[in-house]
Amino acid sequence: MANDRSFTEELSSAQVLEIDACTQCGECLKHCPVQDVTNNPAVSPPEKIRMFREFIRATDGLKAKLFGPSEVDRKLLQDFSRAVYECTTCGACGQNCPVGIFTQRLWPRLRKEMVKRGLGPIGVQADLPKAIKCSGNPYDKPASERYKPWFPEQVQVAERSAIAYYAGCTGAYEAQPMVKGDVLVLNAIGEPFTMLPPEEEVCCGFPLFITGQHDLLKDLVMRLVAAYKARGVKTLVCSCPCCVNIMTRDWPLFYGEALPFKIRHITQYVADAIKQGRLKLNKPLNERVIYHDPCYLSRGVGVIEEPRTVLGSIPGITLLEFERYGLNSRCCGSGGAARKVFHENAIKMGRQTIDEAVKKKADRLILSCPACYAKVNEAMQGYEKQIRITDIMELVSGLIEEG
Amino acid sequence: MEKLLIVVVYAVYAAFWLRFLGHALVWWNATQTLVEPVASGARVKACALTATDIVFFNRLFRVNPGLWFGEWVFHVTLTLVLLRHLRYVLNPVPACIWWVQLPGLIAGYVLPFSLLYILVIRLFTNQEKYASLRNVFFLGLVLVISCIGLLMQALFKPDIVGVKLFILGLLGFSPATVPHSILFVLHFSLVLVLIPLLPTHIVTAPLVMMEARKREQALPLVIHGE
Repeated sequence: MANDRSFTEELSSAQVLEIDACTQCGECLKHCPVQDVTNNPAVSPPEKIRMFREFIRATDGLKAKLFGPSEVDRKLLQDFSRAVYECTTCGACGQNCPVGIFTQRLWPRLRKEMVKRGLGPIGVQADLPKAIKCSGNPYDKPASERYKPWFPEQVQVAERSAIAYYAGCTGAYEAQPMVKGDVLVLNAIGEPFTMLPPEEEVCCGFPLFITGQHDLLKDLVMRLVAAYKARGVKTLVCSCPCCVNIMTRDWPLFYGEALPFKIRHITQYVADAIKQGRLKLNKPLNERVIYHDPCYLSRGVGVIEEPRTVLGSIPGITLLEFERYGLNSRCCGSGGAARKVFHENAIKMGRQTIDEAVKKKADRLILSCPACYAKVNEAMQGYEKQIRITDIMELVSGLIEEG
Repeated sequence: MEKLLIVVVYAVYAAFWLRFLGHALVWWNATQTLVEPVASGARVKACALTATDIVFFNRLFRVNPGLWFGEWVFHVTLTLVLLRHLRYVLNPVPACIWWVQLPGLIAGYVLPFSLLYILVIRLFTNQEKYASLRNVFFLGLVLVISCIGLLMQALFKPDIVGVKLFILGLLGFSPATVPHSILFVLHFSLVLVLIPLLPTHIVTAPLVMMEARKREQALPLVIHGE
């Protein structure tokens, strides 16, 4: 594609203003996890915005309008593309931006622009559309293995129900103790829930969305929404923050109207069950635990209190907080589909999370995101500091009294 | 020399509006592209909060109180100084502009210190990993302009009547003689250098702040609503 085509086509009007509104103050850098581990201002948020501003000027500025757009240097575009894909899209920069630029949504849009120009995605990210098209998941694993290795035999799934559970690809293939915990807790609550057959529970579309490869998205969303609608679903429960994020923010756009069911993160559903007395956690846990807020759950959709409500209801537990938590949480390194490409960055960020948890003398590090779960566990392999890592529902499922 | 200065004035004036037009064109084109859904409700509260964000720089205070102090003082004093300067542009001078003369004078003395403070934080403290050269140059230029202004106010006063006639002449496209003050010519020329460097975020940042407030108000409804 010619490099003189407009650079604003993939941006919303608000995002074009955002690019112009960056004051280049650099406050965001203090909160950028990629900066922490690379110390390279070239991949920093203000530098990315400055570069993209130049691209817009070249194709859409007054000079371009009067005398025609000028071609942007390919090398500059390649450097920019690498920088925008190295980001974990955690959104901490936007959360701490003195102007309030919504970077968690801006970076994926810029990635989409790079894909249209043949400059993205990077590395194995390019295999995602083919894998999802062929096997229904980004890991290119067979559908027959989606539930089988972890699904507890004693749990019954209804054919139709107002409640549905979506396991998600990363949970099902890479963080199985997490999804196993989810269904055990849902089972303990006692309300019938349904699940799609493994070959129908395809990718939610987030890996494609976040890498800027939107071609298959609408089809995936339409298939999933139709399947849940046919089962009479009114509430779709999911534990993956990335799935939950795209379901709430983008599925309605691809579906073309409001979804016929509401989306809930599993901690919301379980916190409600605990408050209403439908789930009782009687087994004590005399431990100091520290909870890590996933970026796409806290900054993404504002689920901050519910995980703490769930943990706080466990007798004997002491809940610790990271220095940065809630809306200001620090990325563990697994976001933005960068973990498979910029592996070393992700490992360093994961180890920062482990370091702080150990420093706070926590007995366990509690996570509630399958990507965080997979990557932080990987970061701990061969690391001098060790801590027990447990998913929140994995923990809760182990504290439910049998019978 | 005098004619050259006048030509430059009109060139800068034209370039300023062309630049603004260029940006407005990009903004206008952007309104024709994708529109992200904006959550309804709580708009009034968002507007009120945005107003306080603009006046008090709340968002900056939240992330860097040290820098906030310098930036807030700089913007307030600069505003007062600019208001004070309106007496050279308006004829007759409205009463409200006379009222800001004393505050504007005091602000003129504070302004360079606020700029020095910001530059020290930006350049010499470890907390900043990134300093935009353009921003540093811009702040340095304002510092020099403000110091020359102070010199004219305190020590080397130019012919005020001549200055006003010169400015009014420029605005009316019938330029009068440039006042015979080297400091004034320098002060005025540096302002001409400054104008093309004016950041356009002074127009767009308030709009983005408004969007950010709307988003904050809507966040609890993203997944917690019915």
